[in-house]
Amino acid sequence: MTAAVPQPTSRTVLEARNMTRRFGGLIAVNDVSFDVREGEIFGLIGPNGAGKTTLFNLMTGLTPPSSGTLMYEGRPVLGLAPHRVAALGMSRTFQNIRLFKALSALENVKIAQHTRTHAGLWRGIFGANRAEEAQVERRAWELLDLVGLSDRAGEEAGNFSYGDQRRLEIARALATEPRVLLLDEPAAGMNTSEKGSLTAFIREVRDKFDLTVMVIEHHVPLVMNLCDRVAVLNFGQLIAMGDPASVQRDPKVIEAYLGGE
Amino acid sequence: MSDFLQSYGFLIVTLIQAGLLGLSLYFPLMAGQLSLASPGFYALGGYVAAIMLTNPAFAGLRDTLGNGIFPLTWLAAGLLCALAGVIVGVPALRLRGIYLALATIAFVEILRVVSLNLSITGGAIGIFGIPQAFGFQDRWQYLLIFGPLLALVLAFTYMLQKSRVGRAFRAIREDELAADAMGVPPTQYKVLAFVIGAVIAGIVGSMSAPFLNTWNAKQGTFDASIAILAFVLIGGSRSMWGPVVGGALLTAVPELLRFLQDWRLVINGLVLVIASLYLPQGIVGALAKLRKSPPPARPPIAPAPDAKGGTL
Ligand SMILES: Nc1ncnc2c1ncn2[C@@H]1O[C@H](COP(=O)(O)OP(=O)(O)OP(=O)(O)O)[C@@H](O)[C@H]1O
Ligand SMILES: [Mg+2]
Repeated sequence: MTAAVPQPTSRTVLEARNMTRRFGGLIAVNDVSFDVREGEIFGLIGPNGAGKTTLFNLMTGLTPPSSGTLMYEGRPVLGLAPHRVAALGMSRTFQNIRLFKALSALENVKIAQHTRTHAGLWRGIFGANRAEEAQVERRAWELLDLVGLSDRAGEEAGNFSYGDQRRLEIARALATEPRVLLLDEPAAGMNTSEKGSLTAFIREVRDKFDLTVMVIEHHVPLVMNLCDRVAVLNFGQLIAMGDPASVQRDPKVIEAYLGGE
Repeated sequence: MSDFLQSYGFLIVTLIQAGLLGLSLYFPLMAGQLSLASPGFYALGGYVAAIMLTNPAFAGLRDTLGNGIFPLTWLAAGLLCALAGVIVGVPALRLRGIYLALATIAFVEILRVVSLNLSITGGAIGIFGIPQAFGFQDRWQYLLIFGPLLALVLAFTYMLQKSRVGRAFRAIREDELAADAMGVPPTQYKVLAFVIGAVIAGIVGSMSAPFLNTWNAKQGTFDASIAILAFVLIGGSRSMWGPVVGGALLTAVPELLRFLQDWRLVINGLVLVIASLYLPQGIVGALAKLRKSPPPARPPIAPAPDAKGGTL
């Protein structure tokens, strides 16, 4: 329920304080406070309908908060439009995959470089954007390499398997050049072998791009292996936070999962 | 050659006009916005030209500029329509789908009623005796201005689609919320797409006023909105060639079938029904499906050393 005391060993990147979101009578996120430290992989778990996705939506500007604050590197985030949050350096994937389905994988990744590029209407019309376009193109291919999809760069994103779409969404999120990456159930719909390599992949991405990662996940082995710390939401409230093993033993957490199912 | 132009010049100019108006509606569609405002901006642009070319208030300017007055009417129409596009677009683009379409039809209708009641627009009678552009003797000579305009707009569209702005438009069309989350500000680009369409329609109007010699409230109507929408839907709304092909075809077919008299309307209707049933992507969309596009070529630069293939 209360915020973690930041450890002196690591800097705080995100500071959430009393974040609340009501939908009519329902309090989907209820007075949630937490800190996320630079470079950590921070898990967010909880039964269905606990408010995890809503919390991500609040953090990325997709849903306006009822009250509370979120500071990213000392700057307020809540109340900004989603594209402003992306420009600040926070990017995300979606639980219900929201790729640009009719566009190619390559174009999906190019589009997401929007905030890091500048060519306006006239530079584009007069072809005065060549250097920037070459850069966009190169980065897009590199990101497709990273998720192993460059062989299928020209295919429509909507034709990809679930697992491939999830990885393409990660590539697209990385194209915005974030410092904080929010993954909403990245393993959902993946087959067993894809799930198995996801842990290593997320770590690799974190190291390569110097990221701080928040991940919502139901798949327990993944959470236990991957996360440095885990927070548990239940009916919108933060009921536990700490290292994965101790959270797993926490009676409140066990109670929440047993009562919730 | 000149016999051909004598007989068909007028028709060809009309086809180009239709294609250009189709393109003006295609721009907002590129960003996923169904706007039917084109006839409104077309009418507005035409009135700007008609007034500048006939109103005594501009007599001094006409004397000074000579033929230079014509490009000036295009510029004035384009600028005024850009301004009107921002004023109408900013509030209207808060609406989505069919509600936006309805709001833009209301805009066309309001402009029509206003022009019927103002004296500067000639009221119900409209504006007569608009001088021929550059002293053209024949209607086919309008190819000399409409042709380059079409070429220019197509080149503009082609370059735009390849650019960062074109990608932003497509992202918004595909999924506005995801585009926003990926850093593309939707409102800004929706207004831009709408304004580009408005400017094109306005310039076409300003060139059409001398071509038609007269300009009145019949120029911007609900019927025209639907006709222009049909150009784009029949031609194909996913390629810049769609509105051009659709506009030309739907304008040419009724003309070429004139010998059938009233039956031509039946044929025209049949074309519309058959195309919408069997070519949901439009004619150009269907043709594009036949031709498999090659996979994108990787730029010929050595990949960065750390960009090795992922394992996941
Ligand atoms: N836009 C909305 N309007 C009304 N209620 C909403 C809205 N979005 C979410 N809710 C409700 O808020 C609660 C939390 O939903 P949320 O999607 O955040 O849960 P979650 O923890 O992500 O669940 P899951 O594990 O199933 O994805 C649910 O009861 C949901 O029905
Ligand atoms: Mg969820």
